[in-house]
Amino acid sequence: MTTDAPQVFDFTTLPANDNVNPYAFSVDLNGQWFLQKGKMIAYYGQIDFHGIGHGPLDRLVASSFHSPLHAADWVVAEGHGKLLLADRAFDVNSYDLDDGNLTVRSGNLLAYEPSLSLKQSIIPGFLTLIGTGKFVAASNGEVHFVEPPVRVDPQALVGWADCPSPCHHYDHQYLKGVMGGIRAMTGLGGASGEEHQFEFVGAGTVLIQSTEMLMADRNAGAVPDQAGVPGGGGHGGHGGQSGQGGQQTPQLPGQLGGLQRRFGL
Amino acid sequence: MAQFRLHGTKVLAVTLSGGGDTVKAKNGSMVAYDGQMAFKKMTGGGEGIRGMVTRRLTGEQMTVMEVKGQGTCFFADRASDISLVRLNGEKLHVEASNLLCTDAGLHTGTSFTGLRGATQGNGLFTTAVEGTGEAALMSAGPAVLLRVSQGAPLQVDPGAYVAHQGNLRQSFQSGVNFRTFMGEGSGEAFQIRFEGDGLVYVQPSERNTVGGEL
Repeated sequence: MTTDAPQVFDFTTLPANDNVNPYAFSVDLNGQWFLQKGKMIAYYGQIDFHGIGHGPLDRLVASSFHSPLHAADWVVAEGHGKLLLADRAFDVNSYDLDDGNLTVRSGNLLAYEPSLSLKQSIIPGFLTLIGTGKFVAASNGEVHFVEPPVRVDPQALVGWADCPSPCHHYDHQYLKGVMGGIRAMTGLGGASGEEHQFEFVGAGTVLIQSTEMLMADRNAGAVPDQAGVPGGGGHGGHGGQSGQGGQQTPQLPGQLGGLQRRFGL
Repeated sequence: MAQFRLHGTKVLAVTLSGGGDTVKAKNGSMVAYDGQMAFKKMTGGGEGIRGMVTRRLTGEQMTVMEVKGQGTCFFADRASDISLVRLNGEKLHVEASNLLCTDAGLHTGTSFTGLRGATQGNGLFTTAVEGTGEAALMSAGPAVLLRVSQGAPLQVDPGAYVAHQGNLRQSFQSGVNFRTFMGEGSGEAFQIRFEGDGLVYVQPSERNTVGGEL
């Protein structure tokens, strides 16, 4: 693809709410949009950026932003103009939701219209958008849409829409027998690295990216340390009845851990 | 005169016709060549002692090699996307780290650009390329060309800025206020504002800048 005269864009020729190229998206801003920090590369027009928590935005935030733990990563762009969004030269795409829901890895979401509302998914590290409107998300390589039932590599998962039951799936072979126990405990021997997937069933769509390389997420959006909240509790075991909390206590070399349980010792 | 053309979007092919035909390229960016080529590292960007000292002082260091010979030489760097810019006596301002290759008919120098560089961590200066010939720019992802005209100024994130040309005034725009210090910064606290007539090259990616965290 050799283009002799690269296309030059200006305020009027930039697309309105469409991709400029696969890596940059132009928002025709007329009002407000939510934007993840650092994803704006350039803009024409009169646009102000407000951190979330800015007084005059209270009503907007109350209706469309329900992720206090991500508040530090998001801003509101307010004004009129064309706004160019991009993310580390990854592919960006816009999606339209029509009274729907879509859950996406938090680091992959670039921006969304305030007619949608953003909530934290109960799956840690993911955000759910509910409502009607447009949002922009990035993926490392092109996005592919697949229909459940499907099992997806954890690193390749970008998000999903409508699927009611995202869950973990472990291959039985991997867990079986003494070798399985040794593998599970030490990570040594025979592991192909593909024994664990995310499984989706039911009606919906799953979004996968074409690489297993994740974007470096900002370490944000930890869920509250509360009983019954998956992945909660930065301090292991503190969550009361959550015996199987997200955090596993580190295993000492002498302990048999999983093996012990497996053989009923 | 060296012929520049793109092979795909990430490889630059330069055809040299011999007889003192040379280009300057980023040191180590040659990936293949055919014909006869000689590569010579140019200390201090090939701008002499004065240029070398200036570059060292301004932080716009570039290590450049001179490529001379007959044949086709291919250049690429970390799978960066490449844009070709043809200059007929105009001046192009570019971040030193985004300059891949220039024709021998162009000369490079360091120019003061104001406070913009401060947020970028690579100094207050850019590299000015001037003369007649072609220059190849690198960007993380294909560069987007944005026109600035009277009445339509453009604001660019310092981390996404690659280059600009034309009659542009740039100023530094800051949205830092007391909220920034309360941890409620907008993350878009610094922008470069371009006014006038010209073109700005923007990459769909951001370098890490001090400003990006605010």
